[in-house]
Amino acid sequence: MRNSQEAISADLRELERTIRERYPDLRLVIENGRPAFRGSFPIVHDSHELDRFLVDISFPEGIKRLPIIREIGGRIPRTTARHTFVGGGICTEVPELTLLREDYSLLSYLGGPVRNYFIGQSLVEQGKPWPFGEWDHGKEGLLQAYGDVLGVTGELVIRRYLDYLGHKKVKGHWLCPCGSGNQIRQCHLAIVRRLQEVVPPRIARQALERLNKYS
Amino acid sequence: MSKTMTDMEYLKEILESQNLADDSAELKRLMEQRKDVERILRDAFPDCSPTIRYGGSKAKGTLIKEAYDLDLACYFPHDDETAGSSLEDIYNNVAKALEKEYSVLRKRSALRLRDKDEVDFRIDVVPGRFTDDKKQDCYLHQEAGDKKWLKTNLDVHITHVRDSERLDAIRLLKLWKTRKALGVKQFAFELLIIKLLEGSRKSLPDQLKHVWTELRDRDEPVPVEDPANPAGNDLADLLNTQVWSELSSVAADTLLTLDANGWEAVFGKVPTDSGKTASLLAAAASVSVRTKPWCG
Repeated sequence: MRNSQEAISADLRELERTIRERYPDLRLVIENGRPAFRGSFPIVHDSHELDRFLVDISFPEGIKRLPIIREIGGRIPRTTARHTFVGGGICTEVPELTLLREDYSLLSYLGGPVRNYFIGQSLVEQGKPWPFGEWDHGKEGLLQAYGDVLGVTGELVIRRYLDYLGHKKVKGHWLCPCGSGNQIRQCHLAIVRRLQEVVPPRIARQALERLNKYS
Repeated sequence: MSKTMTDMEYLKEILESQNLADDSAELKRLMEQRKDVERILRDAFPDCSPTIRYGGSKAKGTLIKEAYDLDLACYFPHDDETAGSSLEDIYNNVAKALEKEYSVLRKRSALRLRDKDEVDFRIDVVPGRFTDDKKQDCYLHQEAGDKKWLKTNLDVHITHVRDSERLDAIRLLKLWKTRKALGVKQFAFELLIIKLLEGSRKSLPDQLKHVWTELRDRDEPVPVEDPANPAGNDLADLLNTQVWSELSSVAADTLLTLDANGWEAVFGKVPTDSGKTASLLAAAASVSVRTKPWCG
């Protein structure tokens, strides 16, 4: 059996190969034993290169988890209005929405939310709005995003739904998360069942934890 | 890259796409910033009339669109101490003057200007003091390294690079270095390129291949000299083994990429600015998974 170090290296090598095939300027660097990809991220459409941003992609939670991506060219203001953190970390979207996609991988993340984000930044630089809109900052944005997925509104209702979805099983005699006071089997059980197919318990709990950070 | 385009034509198109016209929005912004910087410096040091002039890629002809910046030398008369008695004092006092309006990143000898939101203005101010009345040679303070100062000459640097007849290779390799986010200092990298191509009569594509091959194949860093002070300024630290190792491994990868997939795999599609907004909107319209940014 291979030891974990070898397994990590093999995973990383495979990730490097995959990334470089699609993004040849993103090169793997190992600093203090931690991997990152660094270089120029192009926006290409219809065989035309429209723009480029310099990025650093690091993996504080491991290479199979969502990375932290920083814009390192000093081009995007570090302000919430431009959806960046101090230090250059970019806020592509609410993380749980990314994780809900079945085909999550670094490559799909770069080709989806990250590319969308940089298309947006490039347009905003030219005085245009974000092409698909933007969530509000902080808790309000989370409630908008989670509410959008769940099809409900109101913080309490959203929290109840996330709480239920965080369980492996939802019992029919529980009170409905909609707040009607009825048992769930007599109210929104069908909707909760459908949401259980879309939102795994781990992501529901993660979403609730994220909301709780603002409490 | 179209099938009929030669390697040389492709590289020339890449170079063309990296030009910044004097009336481009980017250069106009830089010029406006330069005026502000000059005003701040003249207001801060009204009695010693510093010499403020261009250095860096603008003066040398190595500017590229993806990594354009402006080096502004701010040199004080040799016999004037109103800006500071020591070189370090001058460096610090110029930094303090600029900090009233900018966020200042203190580099080795230069001061990089940013706004409060960390947007890079792409301007480096290089404070120094002329060695004499001729106003040619100059002393600069050094924040890093064993030696706290160095003697240099802006005109010699500019001439050395501008007249090297390697500007195309330098600009393309600067683009390569920028896109790969390599840590080598541009000043040392330019000297290295010129040295590696010394006496070469190769075509532009072969010049690039030659530089990458040398970087790949040499185990030890190639020593370069500061043309303004060959004996006095030790540049070994700018091309140390760590920097060399990074250059070497990325050059090796680039040569493999080039052999396997040609020049477009190295420098990508020729960037276009015409109809950029419409193209970006079209790119957005064709996205299958629409995502909205958020900030926690």
